[in-house]
Order: sequence, then C-alpha cells, then structure tokens
Amino acid sequence: MNQPNSAAAGRICIIGLGNVLLGDDGFGPLVIERFRCEYNCDASVEVLDLGTPGLDLSPYLHGKQLVVIVDAVNSDEQPGTLRVYEETALLDRPAVLHLTAHDPGVGQCLAQLKLAGQAPSKVFILGVVPESLALGSGMSASVLAAVPLAVERIATLLREHGDACRQRVVQEHPNLWWRARLPVEPAGASS
Amino acid sequence: MARVSIDPVTRIEGHLRIDAEVDAGAVQKAWACCTMWRGIETILKGRDSREGWVFAQRFCGVCTTVHAMASVRAVEDALHLEIPANAQYIRNLILIAHALHDHIVHFYHLSALDWVDITTIPKADPARAASIAEGVSSWPGNSRHELEVVQNKVKGLVASGQLGIFSHGYWGHPAMHLSPEMNLILFAHYLQALEFQRKSNQVVGILGGKTPHIQNLAVGGVMNAINLNSLATMNMDRLEMLQSLLQDLIPFVQQAYFVDACLLAGSYPEWLTYGRGVANYLAVPDLPLDARATQFDLPGGVITDGNLSSVRPVLDWHDQAIRAAVAEDVTHAWYQGKGPQKPWQGKTDPYYTDFRDDGKYTWVKAPRYDGKPMQVGPLSNILVGYASGHPLTRKWTDAALDRISSLHGSRVAVDGLQSTMGRYAARAIRSAMLSDVAIKHCQLLTQNILRGDAATFNPPQFPQTEIAGVGMHEAPRGTLSHWVVIDKGVFSNYQAVVPTTWNASPRDENGVPGPYETSLLGNPVADPSKPLEVLRTVHSFDPCMACACHTLDATGREIAQVKVL
Repeated sequence: MNQPNSAAAGRICIIGLGNVLLGDDGFGPLVIERFRCEYNCDASVEVLDLGTPGLDLSPYLHGKQLVVIVDAVNSDEQPGTLRVYEETALLDRPAVLHLTAHDPGVGQCLAQLKLAGQAPSKVFILGVVPESLALGSGMSASVLAAVPLAVERIATLLREHGDACRQRVVQEHPNLWWRARLPVEPAGASS
Repeated sequence: MARVSIDPVTRIEGHLRIDAEVDAGAVQKAWACCTMWRGIETILKGRDSREGWVFAQRFCGVCTTVHAMASVRAVEDALHLEIPANAQYIRNLILIAHALHDHIVHFYHLSALDWVDITTIPKADPARAASIAEGVSSWPGNSRHELEVVQNKVKGLVASGQLGIFSHGYWGHPAMHLSPEMNLILFAHYLQALEFQRKSNQVVGILGGKTPHIQNLAVGGVMNAINLNSLATMNMDRLEMLQSLLQDLIPFVQQAYFVDACLLAGSYPEWLTYGRGVANYLAVPDLPLDARATQFDLPGGVITDGNLSSVRPVLDWHDQAIRAAVAEDVTHAWYQGKGPQKPWQGKTDPYYTDFRDDGKYTWVKAPRYDGKPMQVGPLSNILVGYASGHPLTRKWTDAALDRISSLHGSRVAVDGLQSTMGRYAARAIRSAMLSDVAIKHCQLLTQNILRGDAATFNPPQFPQTEIAGVGMHEAPRGTLSHWVVIDKGVFSNYQAVVPTTWNASPRDENGVPGPYETSLLGNPVADPSKPLEVLRTVHSFDPCMACACHTLDATGREIAQVKVL
C-alpha cells in the first residue's frame, strides 16, 4: 500500500486543482503529473492532484511553509495566458471571489486557517486562462502550450524559496489515465 | 408580491438557483433550478466496467469516494459478485471517515454562518460562554481561556477589516438571534473543527492510499494487501494508527458537534416548524457487516406521507421494490423525452428552452419512487431507523430530542425533526451514530485478520451476455445509486441518480414539486432583498450541485447573487 499523502507529511505542497473531465479545467492535474515526472524533489515536497476539493482543500494547506496551487482562472486575458498570483489576490476580496472556479474553496480555506493560526506561510497561485471547459472535450491547444511553462515556473518558484528540485535524468512516463481509452480484455478473461 | 432569485446557492462548485415568490412575509411558490447541463455519465459509456469507478470519483470533487463506491457496487451487483469480509470492513471505514468529515464541514464551515453572527463575538463575556458550554458538554475545548483566544482573534479580524471573507450570511439580520456567548462557542468549534476534518481525512488516506481520490478499490473488493508481518502492507501498526485516529475524532463528534447541533435547534425552535417539505423519505441500508452484505449497521427504509408507522424496511441492496420503483421524469427538465424513464433505460438528450415557470426550467431530472417525490439525506436515515426501532438510531435521536426539549422548555417529539432544523439535527445524530460504530468496524477488521483471513479481492468474470446492476450507497447527502448496463465487460449505459437530484428535483408530469421546492412553501422571508431564511432551508439539505449536474461556469459569478424582481 502507498504511504498516505494525507496532509502535513511535508513542509511544501504543490497542488493541482481542476476537473480532468472538463476540458481546460484539467490544466492543474496535467501540470502536476508532468512536473512529478520531470522533476525530482526532496521528501519535504508533496506533489498532489486534488481535483476540485472545495473546502476539503484545508488539510493540504494546514501548517505548510510554501504552497503552490496550479489551476484554471477566470480572466479577460487571452486563453493560454499564464500568471502567478499571490495570496493577497484572494484574501483582499470580500466573500465574493472571481479568481478561479474553485475559489469558494481556496479563499475560505486560507481565511479559516489564518484564524486558526495554521495558515501556510506563503501561497502562490499559478493560473492559466482556459479556452473551453466543455465536458470530455480534452484540452485546447492554447492551454496545452502553457503546460511546459507552468512546469518550469513551479521549479523556479521552489528554487527561489531555497528548495531543491532537480530535473530527472530519465523522465518518468506520465500517467494520464483520463485521456486514454481503456483497453478491454476479451470477455471472460480474469484480471 | 416580490419574486426573489438567488443564484447560485451552493458554496461549493456547481450552480443552484432558487426562485421564490414572496408575499405577506412568506414564500408562496418556489422553483429549484440547476443551471448547468448534466451529462457526465456519457463519459463512462464504452469504458471497461472494472475501471469505471476511477472516472466516477471525478464526477464531483467533494463527493469523490461515494461515487467510486457506488460504481464498484453496481458492477458487483450486475455480476452477483460477493466481496471478502475484509473488503467490506475496509470500505466501511473509508465511508465512515468520509461521512464524518463531510458532516462536520457542512455544519461548521458550510452552514453555521447562516445562524451564527460573528460580528457580535467581541461583545461576548468569555467566562459566561465557558460556563454555558461546560454546563452542557465535557468537551475540553470549551475553557474560558480557549474562548478568550478565539474572541481576540475575531476582534483582530474585525479591526483589520478582513472579515469580508466570512460574510456569506447576513450579519445583523433580524432572523439571527443567538447571544454573543453562543456565537462565540459555535465559532470556537468552527475553528477547532479544522483539526478533526484533517484527522478524518487521514483515515481515508491510510486506507485508500490517497485522498481525495482513493486508489484501493477494485470491482471484487479492495487492493489493500494484508500481512501482519510486513511493514509495507496493512499490519498491526496501521490498524492501531487507524483506531487511534478514530478515537481522537469521537469526542469532537459526540461532545462538540452533536451538542452544538442540539444547542442550535433549542435556540431556534421556530425552525423546527418550517421547511418540512416532501414527507416521503428514502434511505438504503449501509455499512454491511458480512461478506454477503446481509446485515447492516445503518438501516434502510421507505416512509410515505410523514407517517412513521408506514415504514417499509429495505433489508438489503437486493430489494426488488426499489429497483422497480425508481424512474426519472423530464417534463420540467431541459431534456427530450416523455413520461418516466427507468435509469437502466435512461437517456440524457438535452433540449434547452429558457427558464419557464410552467414549462422546463432546470437541468436536474425529477426522480420519483412509485411516482412520488422523495426526500433523501440524514433525516431520511434517522426517520426510517427510528420508525423501525433500530436501537442505535433510537439511542442518539432520543438523546438529541432530550437536549433540544430541555433548551426549548417544551417537549419536542421525533415528528419535529421533519423540518429545516431537523435536517441539521439529523446530520449530527447520524454523525454520533457513525462515530459509535467506527471502532467496531476497526475491530471487526482486526479480528478477522487475526483469525487468519487475509482475503481482500474476488476477481470478476464477465459473461458474453448483457447484464445490468445497481450500486447503492447511503452517502452523506442521502441515497446514491449508480445504474449500469454492461455488455461483455464494457458499459453500454450508465446513470447516476444522486442525492441532490432527489432533493433538487423539479416538478414532475403531474406538476408535483420536489423537496427543495416544497420545503420552501411558507418559509418566512422578513426582507426579500436579504433572503437569509431561504438559504437556511436550502442549506439544510447540504446541496452539492457538482454531481447533480456538472461543468463549471467559465465566467465566474458572484457567490450569492440576489435579485428582487
């Protein structure tokens, strides 16, 4: 059995948010999987695809030194545009938050943890502007083009904060299960 | 007559819009509208049925585990495949931990601020608050010191002007009437709850390999390797760690959450009279106690017309009546088709009109049970259990009714739970019950392993013929069923009838409204531009529209847009 990734295992958390079934909303999980395969990090860094957890995000932010959240964001800019936002972009707003489709989670989780004295010391949001969030449509070319940039940006953010991450000599093969049609074995074959 | 439109009502992803006609200070007519197309099941068609659960758990980011569980149960049902006892217990522990987590987050983080006015906390007397709290509970987090610390944090927040992030409710609203001390107690537990949300998440992580998307399921059981002598598998250390996490959770559930829900009900007794709504209740049994799933810790049943003596127990998942009774109607939903459709034959062909009061107005279908709308959720759980004389349900329901009655000053009977506040109380009663059986399932697993049983998986064999099955799970928001048709191992149809579809159901072909819509009739609204009272009743169902209907809004909208037309 795998080690549980359940919160507070490391000091640093790199988190992908988004629904892999909904077009460009799958940006966060895809970037996370690519980063995991291309870079080797210390044991203190957790690299997690958390889907669309809403308030269930809290346990993964709890007490961290550094959190990087990768997500699709709502913006008037060109699809595929990649930006780094700081935490204040979320907290300076009233309860009404526009930044991402998952904001009711991110902003409120951060605010709660702050009051409880358990907020992460530093939070960055790495956001891409989506082109289409249609069900099962796959990702658009403009947003796919931003994936390598985002992977590199995560590495830069980690290094800027004094945390080692090394490009793997031999990259792992990404497990993008949601993009593949699953092969079906002949009927009667046992698994 | 004012027409109020609230859009969207949920605080988690997904969009629910509520329209209400208000006259003489009360709702006269209501419509529940889901504003996004529901069609996620189409993704499952043509896929290997052994892997369906991996996709199903991405239906919704909040209810991941429950869809995974319903999906594997559906395929196992179609195959008549029994799973090993160890697999039942491991699944049960995941479901218990997930449900406790979900109920705690609903009460404190998603809905408490409909009732708790944080802005009064600076005026509270912490000593008095501690004495109130310690008078009703032995919870250690109620000390004067603890409450003072929380009060100072809130004072700091008010001074910094950063309170806005918590402003979901309407502060200073005339329908808010807890004392500053009560607001302080409940908000202190709101902050403490974060720690227990984390612990229950850890339980799911230990058993599921990962959270929020568990990795250990399989059609036929679970993939956890059991070997008491191996560090890498489920061994005695892991089992002890599980038990100790659960033991940490229980006091918070039983001494803080359960007590708080009773305090809230006793302080807002008028809400035991509003929001009854559809009084037909459906719950399926869950937490199976044996490999064959013949005995359960949570009872199922059907109650009609609010009459508890009419209860028909649902003894197991083979119940033929449920299979025959469930159908979905699209008369008022944006789909093609006429008349009720059985889920196995269900289609999802969109037919959008705009919002028409008397025509089609939502993306949610109208599920019916023998033609009747049904309310699902913890209240249904509690009522069918109470009506069937289930000892664990009686124990905690009677304890809650005693507490509520003593605060209220007059006797509140079990019928009083058929209300907006009853749904909050029922969720806390269910949590107390789940925490009561949590250790038991941990011990069942341990004892079974110590007897030498390490089996966790029975491999599925798919026939050449077409087969159909239904996977049932009594999820935190109520009865969840996945209906599948499998042809040579591949899904040829897939329909998920989720709890929020039952509760957010629109009118049906006979014009009979669904549970949200009915529950709002007569609901008070003091000020149509601040319809806090409407939110209270809608939030009492714990709406989660992400799986009732899917996809996210690209433009991003305000969390609670209120229009008075």
